[in-house]
Amino acid sequence: MTEEEIINAEDLDYNFRYEISEKVGAKSLLKCIQCGVCSSGCTVTEYVDLQPHRVVASCLLGLKDRVLSSNAIWTCSLCHRCTERCPKGVDYSFILALLRNLAVKEGNCPEEYRGTIQTIYDNGYVVPYTGGLATNIDRRRDRFGLPKIVPPDLKEIDIIMNETGIGNLIKKASENKESDK
Amino acid sequence: MEYALYLGCTIPLKLPHFEYAFREISNYLGLTFKEMEGASCCPDPVATQSVSIDTWLTLAARNLCLGEKLGLDILTICSGCFETLKTAKVLLSEDKAAFDRVNTVLKKIGYEYKGTSNVYHFAELFSQEEYLEKIKKILMNPLDDLNVAVHYGCHLIRPSKILQFDHPERPETIDKIIKALGAKTVAFAGKLECCGFCARLQEEIGFKLVEDKMTELKELEEEVDVMVGVCPACVGQYDRKQRLLSRKTGKELDIPVLYVPELMAIAFGVEKDKLGLTNRSVKPNKLLEKLNI
Ligand code: SF4
Ligand code: SF4
Repeated sequence: MTEEEIINAEDLDYNFRYEISEKVGAKSLLKCIQCGVCSSGCTVTEYVDLQPHRVVASCLLGLKDRVLSSNAIWTCSLCHRCTERCPKGVDYSFILALLRNLAVKEGNCPEEYRGTIQTIYDNGYVVPYTGGLATNIDRRRDRFGLPKIVPPDLKEIDIIMNETGIGNLIKKASENKESDK
Repeated sequence: MEYALYLGCTIPLKLPHFEYAFREISNYLGLTFKEMEGASCCPDPVATQSVSIDTWLTLAARNLCLGEKLGLDILTICSGCFETLKTAKVLLSEDKAAFDRVNTVLKKIGYEYKGTSNVYHFAELFSQEEYLEKIKKILMNPLDDLNVAVHYGCHLIRPSKILQFDHPERPETIDKIIKALGAKTVAFAGKLECCGFCARLQEEIGFKLVEDKMTELKELEEEVDVMVGVCPACVGQYDRKQRLLSRKTGKELDIPVLYVPELMAIAFGVEKDKLGLTNRSVKPNKLLEKLNI
């Protein structure tokens, strides 16, 4: 960041660091010493607007909006090299997943990811397994002499998704299907 | 040994030939399985974890419960599944609040997660001395003279404090398996680089990573006959993107990419025509010619 920029203290969200660090696996945030090791080995470092150590610094400073709107949180390939190499044990890749969760809560969920969730909701799998598609899959498996697929009870998946707070992301076309039966 | 076999979704639904190769070699190695009927997607460590860590952990714990009900440790055949299930297992053992939250939800569907089953990837198993010895005894077609590039892939080895799989910067598990088959593994700088499949929202990243690694392999002094991996995402990524890159850049990127159990099956003498080896973008014709099978 080269341009000069003044941010007013009242625009900072000092609680942001605690919002993150109270979560499973993200407690390590507060230990960062800004050494930059995470950024130097990062797989996507040349593609992000905020490098890993800067994301961590921004979280600590309370620059919540800047972090949640940066492309850095979505560009990461989750290769976990930052977490592996951090000398202070900061679980950056896990913190990053948490930042994604927060962005999603604010209504910013990439359609690709929402689509994957929908596919799991509808099929129990990330691969569609209904109707003609299922028949084709079964036929291919038969040719290899493989055992029959026994899919999960989708009601259980539905309950888990709703109870863990992502029901709003799912298009419940399946509810119509249910009532058609 | 008997395990609860966790197949995930990509391999059983899209790549049945991988599953076939895996089951064949397991048979030779004397492993037996109980199927985890009713298991769902692990769920995938990228989209699901990104959307909600709670959902991710709870769905994973539901799958772990199915292994617990069978009273067996769980064996995975995909690195994504391994990462999800193992991470869930470790996090839930370290975080009592998360453990309770997960079980509160699971109770509503009649499950209880206890944490009694361990989670393994087959690479961990097959690289143990006991299995390496078995492998050497089973060999029908030793892969002498074969130069193999091993791709470990991120979700098998990192973060090591959770996955507890191998040395995170100098892993050797897969190399051991390949060497037991009689082949040589090549050393190269990009060995531990990410395949880029999980940087899903920006495909150029994957293209760049695949191009860098494959170009390096093509420029090595020894000719690389095949690249192998233990994750369907990595294997598919290198296979498909090589073809696309060759078309786009004119570079000849044509190293066949096999799933480790496929190469093991070849070495064990499983009938080649049953393995579906041509079900990929870069056909392994040269490799099969060299092996003379
Ligand atoms: S490697 Fe760890 S301590 Fe160093 S800047 Fe990154 S997060 Fe902070
Ligand atoms: S996990 Fe993400 S942020 Fe960390 S090194 Fe890999 S790509 Fe970079």
